[in-house]
Amino acid sequence: MFCRYCNHLQAPTPDYYEFFALPRNLALDPDDLQKRFYAMSRQFHPDVFTLHSEQEKRYSLEASSILNDAYRVLRDPISRAEYVLKEAGFDIGEQRGKDVPPELLEEVFELNMALDELRSGDEDVLPQLDQMRHNFVEMLHQIDRDVEEQFRRHDAQATLDQRQAVLSEIRAILNRRRYIRNLVGEVDKQLTARNA
Amino acid sequence: MAYSDKVLDHYNNPRNVGSFDKKDPSVGTGLVGAPECGDVMKLQIKVNPATGIIEDAKFKTFGCGSAIASSSLATEMLKGRTVDEALAIKNTEIVNELSLPPVKIHCSVLAEDAIKAAISDYKQKTQTAAPQSQTA
Repeated sequence: MFCRYCNHLQAPTPDYYEFFALPRNLALDPDDLQKRFYAMSRQFHPDVFTLHSEQEKRYSLEASSILNDAYRVLRDPISRAEYVLKEAGFDIGEQRGKDVPPELLEEVFELNMALDELRSGDEDVLPQLDQMRHNFVEMLHQIDRDVEEQFRRHDAQATLDQRQAVLSEIRAILNRRRYIRNLVGEVDKQLTARNA
Repeated sequence: MAYSDKVLDHYNNPRNVGSFDKKDPSVGTGLVGAPECGDVMKLQIKVNPATGIIEDAKFKTFGCGSAIASSSLATEMLKGRTVDEALAIKNTEIVNELSLPPVKIHCSVLAEDAIKAAISDYKQKTQTAAPQSQTA
Protein backbone atom coordinates (compact mmCIF):
# COMPACT_ATOMS: atom_id res chain seq x y z
CA MET A 1 0.00 0.00 0.00
CA PHE A 2 3.09 2.19 -0.14
CA CYS A 3 4.29 3.46 -3.51
CA ARG A 4 7.35 1.44 -4.37
CA TYR A 5 9.05 4.48 -5.94
CA CYS A 6 8.27 7.36 -3.58
CA ASN A 7 7.27 5.31 -0.52
CA HIS A 8 4.12 7.40 0.04
CA LEU A 9 0.99 5.80 1.39
CA GLN A 10 -1.50 5.05 -1.41
CA ALA A 11 -5.29 4.77 -1.34
CA PRO A 12 -6.00 1.55 0.63
CA THR A 13 -7.86 -1.32 -0.99
CA PRO A 14 -11.31 -2.01 0.45
CA ASP A 15 -10.90 -5.77 -0.13
CA TYR A 16 -10.11 -7.47 3.18
CA TYR A 17 -7.97 -10.25 1.73
CA GLU A 18 -6.01 -7.91 -0.50
CA PHE A 19 -5.55 -5.58 2.43
CA PHE A 20 -3.85 -8.29 4.46
CA ALA A 21 -2.02 -9.57 1.35
CA LEU A 22 -3.58 -12.98 1.95
CA PRO A 23 -4.65 -15.62 -0.59
CA ARG A 24 -8.44 -15.99 -0.82
CA ASN A 25 -8.58 -19.02 1.45
CA LEU A 26 -11.29 -19.77 3.97
CA ALA A 27 -9.02 -21.57 6.39
CA LEU A 28 -6.86 -18.90 8.00
CA ASP A 29 -4.26 -19.17 10.73
CA PRO A 30 -5.60 -16.91 13.49
CA ASP A 31 -2.15 -16.28 14.97
CA ASP A 32 -0.75 -15.22 11.62
CA LEU A 33 -3.75 -12.93 11.08
CA GLN A 34 -3.26 -11.36 14.48
CA LYS A 35 0.42 -10.73 13.82
CA ARG A 36 -0.40 -9.04 10.54
CA PHE A 37 -3.07 -6.99 12.26
CA TYR A 38 -0.69 -5.69 14.94
CA ALA A 39 2.08 -4.95 12.46
CA MET A 40 -0.25 -3.11 10.10
CA SER A 41 -1.89 -1.22 12.95
CA ARG A 42 1.46 0.30 13.75
CA GLN A 43 2.32 0.82 10.10
CA PHE A 44 -0.85 2.76 9.24
CA HIS A 45 -1.45 4.47 12.56
CA PRO A 46 -2.46 8.14 11.97
CA ASP A 47 0.15 9.24 14.55
CA VAL A 48 2.86 8.09 12.19
CA PHE A 49 1.57 10.44 9.50
CA THR A 50 1.23 13.71 11.44
CA LEU A 51 4.08 15.30 9.45
CA HIS A 52 2.94 13.89 6.09
CA SER A 53 0.69 15.42 3.41
CA GLU A 54 -3.05 15.83 3.98
CA GLN A 55 -3.68 13.11 1.44
CA GLU A 56 -1.47 10.61 3.25
CA LYS A 57 -3.12 11.52 6.56
CA ARG A 58 -6.48 10.77 5.02
CA TYR A 59 -5.24 7.47 3.58
CA SER A 60 -3.82 6.44 6.94
CA LEU A 61 -7.19 7.08 8.57
CA GLU A 62 -8.97 5.09 5.86
CA ALA A 63 -6.44 2.27 6.08
CA SER A 64 -6.75 2.05 9.85
CA SER A 65 -10.51 1.90 9.61
CA ILE A 66 -10.50 -0.79 6.89
CA LEU A 67 -7.88 -2.70 8.87
CA ASN A 68 -10.11 -2.84 11.94
CA ASP A 69 -13.15 -3.95 9.93
CA ALA A 70 -11.10 -6.50 8.00
CA TYR A 71 -9.63 -7.98 11.15
CA ARG A 72 -12.99 -8.18 12.89
CA VAL A 73 -14.59 -9.93 9.90
CA LEU A 74 -11.77 -12.32 8.99
CA ARG A 75 -10.93 -13.30 12.55
CA ASP A 76 -14.25 -15.12 13.02
CA PRO A 77 -14.67 -18.17 10.72
CA ILE A 78 -18.40 -17.60 10.22
CA SER A 79 -18.25 -13.90 9.40
CA ARG A 80 -15.21 -14.68 7.22
CA ALA A 81 -17.23 -17.23 5.24
CA GLU A 82 -20.13 -14.81 4.95
CA TYR A 83 -17.76 -12.16 3.62
CA VAL A 84 -16.31 -14.51 1.00
CA LEU A 85 -19.82 -15.66 0.03
CA LYS A 86 -21.00 -12.09 -0.38
CA GLU A 87 -17.96 -11.16 -2.46
CA ALA A 88 -18.53 -14.26 -4.61
CA GLY A 89 -22.05 -13.07 -5.43
CA PHE A 90 -24.13 -15.18 -3.04
CA ASP A 91 -26.98 -13.48 -1.25
CA ILE A 92 -27.07 -14.29 2.43
CA GLY A 93 -30.12 -12.32 3.50
CA GLU A 94 -31.95 -12.83 6.76
CA GLN A 95 -34.95 -14.29 4.96
CA ARG A 96 -33.09 -17.43 3.97
CA GLY A 97 -32.05 -17.95 7.56
CA LYS A 98 -35.62 -18.94 8.34
CA ASP A 99 -35.65 -22.02 6.13
CA VAL A 100 -36.82 -25.01 8.09
CA PRO A 101 -34.32 -27.78 7.45
CA PRO A 102 -36.61 -30.77 6.71
CA GLU A 103 -34.62 -33.18 8.87
CA LEU A 104 -35.24 -30.84 11.81
CA LEU A 105 -39.01 -30.48 11.45
CA GLU A 106 -39.85 -32.91 14.21
CA GLU A 107 -37.53 -31.30 16.72
CA VAL A 108 -38.61 -27.79 15.77
CA PHE A 109 -42.23 -28.76 16.27
CA GLU A 110 -41.53 -30.33 19.67
CA LEU A 111 -39.55 -27.27 20.70
CA ASN A 112 -42.43 -24.97 19.75
CA MET A 113 -44.83 -27.17 21.69
CA ALA A 114 -42.67 -27.02 24.80
CA LEU A 115 -42.25 -23.25 24.50
CA ASP A 116 -46.01 -22.92 24.16
CA GLU A 117 -46.55 -24.94 27.33
CA LEU A 118 -43.99 -22.86 29.17
CA ARG A 119 -45.75 -19.66 28.08
CA SER A 120 -49.00 -20.98 29.45
CA GLY A 121 -47.30 -21.55 32.79
CA ASP A 122 -46.40 -25.23 32.68
CA GLU A 123 -43.05 -25.53 34.45
CA ASP A 124 -42.83 -29.29 33.94
CA VAL A 125 -41.43 -28.76 30.47
CA LEU A 126 -38.30 -27.03 31.78
CA PRO A 127 -36.09 -30.15 31.90
CA GLN A 128 -37.30 -31.09 28.42
CA LEU A 129 -36.48 -27.59 27.14
CA ASP A 130 -33.04 -27.80 28.71
CA GLN A 131 -32.43 -31.10 26.95
CA MET A 132 -33.62 -29.69 23.61
CA ARG A 133 -31.45 -26.62 24.01
CA HIS A 134 -28.52 -28.89 24.74
CA ASN A 135 -29.23 -30.93 21.58
CA PHE A 136 -29.39 -27.84 19.42
CA VAL A 137 -26.14 -26.51 20.86
CA GLU A 138 -24.57 -29.91 20.10
CA MET A 139 -25.80 -29.54 16.51
CA LEU A 140 -24.13 -26.13 16.32
CA HIS A 141 -20.82 -27.64 17.42
CA GLN A 142 -21.15 -30.32 14.78
CA ILE A 143 -21.95 -27.67 12.16
CA ASP A 144 -18.87 -25.69 13.14
CA ARG A 145 -16.77 -28.81 12.56
CA ASP A 146 -18.48 -29.34 9.19
CA VAL A 147 -17.80 -25.74 8.24
CA GLU A 148 -14.10 -26.10 8.95
CA GLU A 149 -13.92 -29.23 6.87
CA GLN A 150 -15.66 -27.45 3.98
CA PHE A 151 -13.19 -24.57 4.36
CA ARG A 152 -10.31 -26.93 3.71
CA ARG A 153 -12.17 -28.48 0.79
CA HIS A 154 -12.82 -25.03 -0.66
CA ASP A 155 -9.20 -24.00 -0.39
CA ALA A 156 -8.02 -27.19 -2.09
CA GLN A 157 -10.12 -26.62 -5.23
CA ALA A 158 -8.14 -25.66 -8.30
CA THR A 159 -10.67 -23.61 -10.26
CA LEU A 160 -13.00 -20.77 -9.42
CA ASP A 161 -16.01 -22.84 -10.56
CA GLN A 162 -15.13 -25.64 -8.18
CA ARG A 163 -14.72 -23.14 -5.40
CA GLN A 164 -18.14 -21.66 -6.18
CA ALA A 165 -19.67 -25.13 -5.87
CA VAL A 166 -18.18 -25.62 -2.41
CA LEU A 167 -19.24 -22.10 -1.42
CA SER A 168 -22.80 -22.96 -2.29
CA GLU A 169 -22.64 -25.93 0.08
CA ILE A 170 -21.14 -23.73 2.76
CA ARG A 171 -23.98 -21.29 2.34
CA ALA A 172 -26.51 -24.08 2.94
CA ILE A 173 -24.67 -25.13 6.10
CA LEU A 174 -24.55 -21.53 7.34
CA ASN A 175 -28.29 -21.13 6.74
CA ARG A 176 -28.94 -24.20 8.85
CA ARG A 177 -26.60 -22.85 11.49
CA ARG A 178 -28.40 -19.51 11.61
CA TYR A 179 -31.73 -21.29 11.87
CA ILE A 180 -30.63 -23.41 14.81
CA ARG A 181 -29.01 -20.43 16.48
CA ASN A 182 -32.31 -18.58 16.24
CA LEU A 183 -34.02 -21.54 17.91
CA VAL A 184 -31.54 -21.53 20.77
CA GLY A 185 -32.00 -17.76 21.02
CA GLU A 186 -35.75 -18.24 21.18
CA VAL A 187 -35.41 -20.74 24.05
CA ASP A 188 -33.08 -18.38 25.94
CA LYS A 189 -35.45 -15.48 25.38
CA GLN A 190 -38.36 -17.44 26.83
CA LEU A 191 -36.31 -18.65 29.77
CA THR A 192 -35.05 -15.19 30.69
CA ALA A 193 -38.51 -13.67 30.20
CA ARG A 194 -39.72 -16.23 32.72
CA ASN A 195 -36.99 -15.42 35.23
CA ALA A 196 -37.45 -11.67 34.89
CA MET B 1 -51.52 -5.88 5.58
CA ALA B 2 -55.03 -6.59 6.81
CA TYR B 3 -56.30 -10.11 7.34
CA SER B 4 -59.70 -11.01 5.93
CA ASP B 5 -62.56 -11.59 8.37
CA LYS B 6 -62.41 -15.31 7.69
CA VAL B 7 -58.71 -15.50 8.46
CA LEU B 8 -59.30 -13.57 11.68
CA ASP B 9 -62.17 -15.86 12.59
CA HIS B 10 -60.04 -18.99 12.17
CA TYR B 11 -57.08 -17.33 13.85
CA ASN B 12 -59.01 -16.17 16.92
CA ASN B 13 -61.16 -19.25 17.07
CA PRO B 14 -59.17 -22.07 15.49
CA ARG B 15 -61.07 -25.31 14.81
CA ASN B 16 -59.77 -28.73 15.74
CA VAL B 17 -56.57 -27.76 17.50
CA GLY B 18 -54.87 -30.72 19.10
CA SER B 19 -53.42 -34.07 18.23
CA PHE B 20 -54.10 -37.79 17.95
CA ASP B 21 -51.77 -40.56 18.94
CA LYS B 22 -49.58 -40.82 15.88
CA LYS B 23 -48.97 -44.51 16.53
CA ASP B 24 -52.68 -45.26 16.11
CA PRO B 25 -52.99 -47.18 12.79
CA SER B 26 -56.12 -45.23 11.84
CA VAL B 27 -54.27 -41.92 12.21
CA GLY B 28 -52.23 -40.24 9.49
CA THR B 29 -49.78 -37.50 10.46
CA GLY B 30 -48.36 -34.79 8.22
CA LEU B 31 -45.59 -32.52 9.46
CA VAL B 32 -44.43 -29.80 7.08
CA GLY B 33 -42.42 -26.59 7.22
CA ALA B 34 -42.52 -23.46 5.11
CA PRO B 35 -39.29 -22.46 3.42
CA GLU B 36 -40.56 -18.87 3.05
CA CYS B 37 -41.34 -18.03 6.64
CA GLY B 38 -40.18 -20.76 9.02
CA ASP B 39 -43.70 -21.92 9.90
CA VAL B 40 -44.21 -25.47 11.15
CA MET B 41 -47.52 -27.22 10.64
CA LYS B 42 -48.76 -30.58 11.94
CA LEU B 43 -51.99 -31.97 10.57
CA GLN B 44 -53.54 -35.30 11.49
CA ILE B 45 -56.47 -37.28 10.12
CA LYS B 46 -58.40 -40.07 11.81
CA VAL B 47 -59.83 -42.46 9.27
CA ASN B 48 -62.57 -45.03 9.66
CA PRO B 49 -60.81 -48.10 8.24
CA ALA B 50 -64.08 -49.72 7.14
CA THR B 51 -65.38 -46.81 5.09
CA GLY B 52 -62.19 -44.91 4.30
CA ILE B 53 -63.91 -41.75 5.50
CA ILE B 54 -61.99 -39.15 7.49
CA GLU B 55 -63.97 -38.91 10.70
CA ASP B 56 -61.87 -36.36 12.48
CA ALA B 57 -58.92 -34.07 11.84
CA LYS B 58 -56.68 -32.06 14.11
CA PHE B 59 -53.85 -29.59 13.63
CA LYS B 60 -51.27 -27.57 15.45
CA THR B 61 -49.46 -24.79 13.62
CA PHE B 62 -46.71 -22.45 14.73
CA GLY B 63 -46.65 -19.51 12.40
CA CYS B 64 -48.50 -16.52 11.06
CA GLY B 65 -52.25 -15.96 11.16
CA SER B 66 -52.73 -17.11 7.58
CA ALA B 67 -50.89 -20.37 8.22
CA ILE B 68 -53.03 -21.04 11.29
CA ALA B 69 -56.22 -20.15 9.43
CA SER B 70 -55.24 -22.28 6.41
CA SER B 71 -54.64 -25.37 8.53
CA SER B 72 -57.72 -24.75 10.65
CA LEU B 73 -59.86 -24.54 7.51
CA ALA B 74 -58.11 -27.60 6.07
CA THR B 75 -59.18 -29.74 9.04
CA GLU B 76 -62.79 -28.58 8.52
CA MET B 77 -62.65 -29.45 4.84
CA LEU B 78 -61.22 -32.89 5.55
CA LYS B 79 -63.92 -34.14 7.86
CA GLY B 80 -66.49 -36.33 6.15
CA ARG B 81 -64.46 -36.84 2.99
CA THR B 82 -62.94 -40.10 1.89
CA VAL B 83 -59.17 -40.27 1.78
CA ASP B 84 -59.23 -40.09 -2.01
CA GLU B 85 -61.58 -37.11 -2.02
CA ALA B 86 -59.28 -35.41 0.46
CA LEU B 87 -56.35 -35.91 -1.89
CA ALA B 88 -58.18 -33.77 -4.45
CA ILE B 89 -58.27 -30.72 -2.15
CA LYS B 90 -56.37 -27.89 -3.79
CA ASN B 91 -54.71 -24.97 -2.10
CA THR B 92 -56.72 -22.63 -4.34
CA GLU B 93 -59.87 -23.66 -2.46
CA ILE B 94 -58.25 -22.44 0.73
CA VAL B 95 -57.06 -19.24 -0.96
CA ASN B 96 -60.58 -18.49 -2.19
CA GLU B 97 -62.33 -19.37 1.02
CA LEU B 98 -60.00 -17.23 3.14
CA SER B 99 -59.41 -14.50 0.51
CA LEU B 100 -55.68 -14.86 1.03
CA PRO B 101 -53.53 -12.15 -0.58
CA PRO B 102 -50.79 -13.25 -3.03
CA VAL B 103 -48.03 -12.97 -0.39
CA LYS B 104 -49.88 -15.49 1.78
CA ILE B 105 -50.62 -18.10 -0.87
CA HIS B 106 -47.66 -20.16 0.34
CA CYS B 107 -49.57 -20.69 3.61
CA SER B 108 -52.32 -22.49 1.70
CA VAL B 109 -49.71 -24.48 -0.22
CA LEU B 110 -48.29 -25.55 3.11
CA ALA B 111 -51.73 -26.69 4.26
CA GLU B 112 -52.19 -28.70 1.06
CA ASP B 113 -48.76 -30.26 1.58
CA ALA B 114 -49.75 -31.14 5.15
CA ILE B 115 -52.95 -32.85 3.93
CA LYS B 116 -51.00 -34.86 1.36
CA ALA B 117 -48.35 -35.79 3.90
CA ALA B 118 -50.99 -36.94 6.41
CA ILE B 119 -52.75 -39.07 3.79
CA SER B 120 -49.55 -40.60 2.56
CA ASP B 121 -48.61 -41.45 6.15
CA TYR B 122 -52.00 -43.07 6.67
CA LYS B 123 -51.76 -45.05 3.43
CA GLN B 124 -48.29 -46.23 4.27
CA LYS B 125 -49.55 -47.50 7.62
CA THR B 126 -52.51 -49.38 6.14
CA GLN B 127 -50.31 -50.95 3.48
CA THR B 128 -47.77 -52.27 5.95
CA ALA B 129 -50.52 -53.34 8.35
CA ALA B 130 -52.66 -55.16 5.76
CA PRO B 131 -50.46 -56.53 2.98
CA GLN B 132 -53.11 -59.16 2.18
CA SER B 133 -55.32 -56.50 0.55
CA GLN B 134 -52.66 -56.00 -2.12
CA THR B 135 -54.31 -58.11 -4.84
CA ALA B 136 -54.37 -57.04 -8.45
